[in-house]
Amino acid sequence: MRGGLVLIGLLLASVLLSLMIGQVMLSPVQLWTGLMTGTGPASLTLRVLRGPGIATAAGVGAVLGVSGTIFQILLRNPLAAPDIMGFMSGAGLAVICGIAFGLSLPLPLLAAVGGLLAAVAVAMLSYRRDAAQAGLTLILVGLGIGFFTSAASSFLLTRLSPQDASDAQRWLSGSLAARNWGHVTQVFGLAAILFVITALQVRALALLELGDDLATGLGTRIRRARYGLIATGVLLAAAGVAVAGPVPFVALMAGPLGMKITGARQPGGRLFSAAVTGAIVTVLADLAARSVVPGLQLPVGVMTGILGAPYLLWLLAREMEAGDL
Amino acid sequence: MTATALKTELLTLGYRDRIVIQDLTLELPDGKVTSILGPNGCGKSTLLKAMARLIQPLSGHVSLAGEEILKIETRALARRLAILPQASKAPEGITVADLVKRGRTPWRGLLAPWSEADAEACERALREVGLADLAERAVDELSGGQRQRAWIALVLAQDTPYLLLDEPTTWLDLTHQLEVLSLLRERNRAHGTTVVTVLHDLNLAARFSDHLVLLGRDGLVETGAPEKVLTEANLEKAFGLKALVIPDPVTGTPMVVPR
Repeated sequence: MRGGLVLIGLLLASVLLSLMIGQVMLSPVQLWTGLMTGTGPASLTLRVLRGPGIATAAGVGAVLGVSGTIFQILLRNPLAAPDIMGFMSGAGLAVICGIAFGLSLPLPLLAAVGGLLAAVAVAMLSYRRDAAQAGLTLILVGLGIGFFTSAASSFLLTRLSPQDASDAQRWLSGSLAARNWGHVTQVFGLAAILFVITALQVRALALLELGDDLATGLGTRIRRARYGLIATGVLLAAAGVAVAGPVPFVALMAGPLGMKITGARQPGGRLFSAAVTGAIVTVLADLAARSVVPGLQLPVGVMTGILGAPYLLWLLAREMEAGDL
Repeated sequence: MTATALKTELLTLGYRDRIVIQDLTLELPDGKVTSILGPNGCGKSTLLKAMARLIQPLSGHVSLAGEEILKIETRALARRLAILPQASKAPEGITVADLVKRGRTPWRGLLAPWSEADAEACERALREVGLADLAERAVDELSGGQRQRAWIALVLAQDTPYLLLDEPTTWLDLTHQLEVLSLLRERNRAHGTTVVTVLHDLNLAARFSDHLVLLGRDGLVETGAPEKVLTEANLEKAFGLKALVIPDPVTGTPMVVPR
């Protein structure tokens, strides 16, 4: 695929850059020595200080990118993404609930339940028999659910002890601080499973993209296929939320940006581009969050927000101009 | 008497509280070109969609070569019957070749690679619609006529013995309308494909169809050969149109001239 290698190259470059830059600057040679010998300052950076955070960032970016692209293709709308439609805030709320009420369930499970509940709520509240405005309704209802769940999360923070509340607040704005290899294994393990499940549904996605009638005519059981894809998209988003909190805008931006770079137009290529682009964006956002203010690690969500909000505004303006909104 | 391809029995169709078609019993001949005609809102497209299991009847049923259509597994049905709905919108930037390839989905196993037969069916479909040279172009860069032919190529690549098309000539100029209808008839003559279309233009329908179904606001007006269906009395009944019907000077088929 045209540009696929470019994208992989960009990802490797971003990871390298991110490993080099920080409170202690490291050269590629030092990193190489550290990797090979397992000693020296570079080794500590790789194993503990930067390595796990960067790997987590790449994994989170990849699952969020694929999640967003599934919804964007399925609803044929560039605004359709789990962050915009409230699924990620829903997942975030469930995790905060878990902490507030002392539920000792694994975070990915809580996030998945929260994301799925938010998706069900959005689907039920936007249900119309005449589907003329279906896409827009879905996104607006999703925005509403997103605001509601975020507000509920903020409210629940007041029930927590000051220390817990401050940690939870940080997590809610999307954080990659102090990640360890456990987080890396978790996000990449879930990504591996969910990417295989996504790959099995790519053909159905390509047909649903042509409209319900043609998809049926070409032998798709559209209701089942759509539920399967929505569930996969929500679970991918939840896998990201579970390790890094509801990092905004990566899911929204990764797909269209990746498409620009690779020129992919088919669902398979678009999903691949989105995964790698999501990883690049998140790794670079994490780098910026660590290095913009010396000595202070900002939440990565702050950086993706600063990048993503202008993109969202531009997208809204363009959609309105095209008359699609 | 030829065999029956599609058959409806006491078919009632509608949306919520509005009945569009009531107790329609109809037989469409196998291996022929059939056109469904009638005024706006008479339920032509609804009928076509029901024949392709896209909408569930309120009562009655549709059968394909004797089998009830809703009992056929949807993927198996997709290998026998293709439907091109009205006004489909292509994904942004997709090429003609990639669009047409999606027509092969019902024939491909879940993990099966792209086969020789798939490639041949797509090439043939592109040749038949005259887009072989534009295969690598983006669908949204094409003219209206070319775009419509790209969609038709998709259902041709599906390679089914039954082919249903909802207003395949809408938005096209006369030359392109003739092109589209000719290629459908060629497919019918060459492969024995049963073609069923919904059409607006009565004279073109008479020219290109072996069999017509004329619907009015109150249901079926007439069905049969074009000469039997397009009569002054039937047109008055279906459209409330006073018209003269004369033989088409070129083809001899009935030609409707409004008075």
